[in-house]
Amino acid sequence: MSQAITSSITTSGTTISNRHVLHCRMQSEPAGLERLCRVVRVRGFRIAGMSVESSGEHFDIALTLEGSRPISMLQSQLLKLHTVGEVVLGAQQARSVA
Amino acid sequence: MNGAQHILQTFQQHSIATVFGYPGGCIMPLYDALVGDVSVEHVLCRHEQGCALAADGYARASGNLGVCIATSGPGATNLITGVANAFQDSVPLLVITGQVPSELIGTDAFQETDVLGMTLGIVKHSYLVDDADSLPGILIEAITLAQSGRPGPVWIDIPKDILLTQVNPETADHEGCEHSESTEPRTDSATHNAAIDKGINETLRLLREARQPLLYSGGGITLAGAEDSFREFAEHSALPGVVTLKGIGNPGRHNPNHLGMLGMHGCRAANRAVDECDLLLVFGARLDDRATGKPETFAPNAKIIHIDADSAEFNKIKAAAVTINANLNDVLRALTREVQAQPLNIEAWQKQCRTWLTTGGFQAADNEEALAPITGPAFVRQLSRIAGDDTIISCDVGQHQMWVAQHYQFNHPRQHLTSGGLGTMGFGLPAAIGAQFAKPGTAVINVAGDGSFMMNAQELATIRRYRLPLKIIILDNQCLGMVRQQQELFYGNRESHINLDDNPDFVAMARAFDIPALHINRTDQIRRGIETIFAYKGPMLLHVAIAREENVWPTVKPGGSNRDMMENTKPAKKKTEENAA
Ligand SMILES: Cc1ncc(C[n+]2csc(CCOP(=O)(O)OP(=O)(O)O)c2C)c(N)n1
Ligand SMILES: [Mg+2]
Repeated sequence: MSQAITSSITTSGTTISNRHVLHCRMQSEPAGLERLCRVVRVRGFRIAGMSVESSGEHFDIALTLEGSRPISMLQSQLLKLHTVGEVVLGAQQARSVA
Repeated sequence: MNGAQHILQTFQQHSIATVFGYPGGCIMPLYDALVGDVSVEHVLCRHEQGCALAADGYARASGNLGVCIATSGPGATNLITGVANAFQDSVPLLVITGQVPSELIGTDAFQETDVLGMTLGIVKHSYLVDDADSLPGILIEAITLAQSGRPGPVWIDIPKDILLTQVNPETADHEGCEHSESTEPRTDSATHNAAIDKGINETLRLLREARQPLLYSGGGITLAGAEDSFREFAEHSALPGVVTLKGIGNPGRHNPNHLGMLGMHGCRAANRAVDECDLLLVFGARLDDRATGKPETFAPNAKIIHIDADSAEFNKIKAAAVTINANLNDVLRALTREVQAQPLNIEAWQKQCRTWLTTGGFQAADNEEALAPITGPAFVRQLSRIAGDDTIISCDVGQHQMWVAQHYQFNHPRQHLTSGGLGTMGFGLPAAIGAQFAKPGTAVINVAGDGSFMMNAQELATIRRYRLPLKIIILDNQCLGMVRQQQELFYGNRESHINLDDNPDFVAMARAFDIPALHINRTDQIRRGIETIFAYKGPMLLHVAIAREENVWPTVKPGGSNRDMMENTKPAKKKTEENAA
């Protein structure tokens, strides 16, 4: 009845890697970007692209990510960072099979 | 007032009365400010890991913020294990380190390490102070943040020049403070409250539908200060319940529906109930793998309701039918009112669970044969009977830790200090020191393993210096018992580097620190040994020689399902004989 959460594994056993775009806004601070990237890596995603705009007090960061775990799990982990204010999911992109 | 003096003033303003630290070059301005300061008690440990773990034990025992201080470079790196330990178990810590002067950062200066970078993964938040005027705001924010929402360590790295710079709190920047509640739910409160109400209603509906509902609670109960409301709910709902390692003590000693700890070394009754339940009410727990075993086979027939202060825990390991991100007290009280008004109808299930408990609890371990060698479980059971109701036990990591978890009857979760998430050998002694500072009038006992004890044995000097009356009990099996057990059961009994039969003479060692000590090795000496150390006013060590081959039972193979628990099929003594033959 209750399901275990794992990566999306197809019946043939291959892991499906999805591409996502996340838009994050965070307070600028010395280790801000490292903090963000570390969480992305540890929670099972690869950064395929990244752009950062700094507007005074804030960073606006667009991350293109690849990974097989549910992206909502990464969103909630990023939101736990004290200096992250907002994490918005962009449209899901093409799927690639790893 | 300089930055260092301002830190001490902030401590005083926030009722921080005890800090654990170790001086060195870059933190010297703070130590200079401590000269003649009477508002804060600085406890000098003998290793920075001891400082961090003592601060952790202080926080666990009291519920207040633990504070530790160290210098840059090796001071900071020595703190890391203790801070990671606090992070994994959501313990509120404020960590302050000196850093090389601002203009030397990035020059590979003497004792420069990138503390901020090195510790990103083990803190709730961290700061490198780059401007003296931001120090007041950062301090206040850090103190708040460490203790709010899901608590955790917050680290402030402060260059030496900033400690020496004049700070004017009147003009200083307090801006940081406005962000300090950002770990709390970020949606607006009306939407959030509506979601909580909906979750509670949904929970009640499922609870009334369920035939075999089970209560599952973890360390989050204590973190939320929800011990009383939890007990009331457990009592009025009369739900059968299980606890995680960190939830031990949640239901108290006398709840008739309590089944005990679940998981890898949990009891059969608790794991069975999880296996069979049709609704699992998870309060303040993160469904850690030591508790769940293989997630696919965990609670296979149950809908899960997950209630936690940290919404990132929802659906992480198991999909939940209902999630409630709220203060546990609020949810527990609302549910209690409802089940009081209309009790649950689960008698058959309660009866079933109690039957499982009679055969699958932890009770079957006494060995009263007078001359027999001491076993860990038998010792812990005696200890539990003799120790007072509010005695605090801090453990190290290994078999002895599990025997304490299984056989000691805890009345309250804050009595049981154990390194759950990180599993840090060497936790017990410094944690006991911290607990004794937090609770000077309470009996504190460190139950140590012979391996773990040696990891922070230098803290005997701290006990001696402050004449702390805490007691140390070493359960000495002359080996890294938990590793030996796994090698025996899962690696074809090939023992590899677990032998400690050349341990020091622990009694002589304690005495070298001016701490009296006693040795016992027979079952009939247990009672007198325990009573003797309790009767002694100051610190005392009891060295207990226990059987080497004893295992922790039951057990689940790492990565296996909790339903496939292994029981003791081969008595330890017999195995030794076979080995000898
Ligand atoms: C710092 C650290 N290093 C290694 C381990 C792995 N480990 C877990 S239990 C254990 C054995 C502990 O031996 P001891 O303290 O004597 O306890 P026993 O299991 O014998 O009761 C080891 C090495 C650990 N948990 N922590
Ligand atoms: Mg041992």
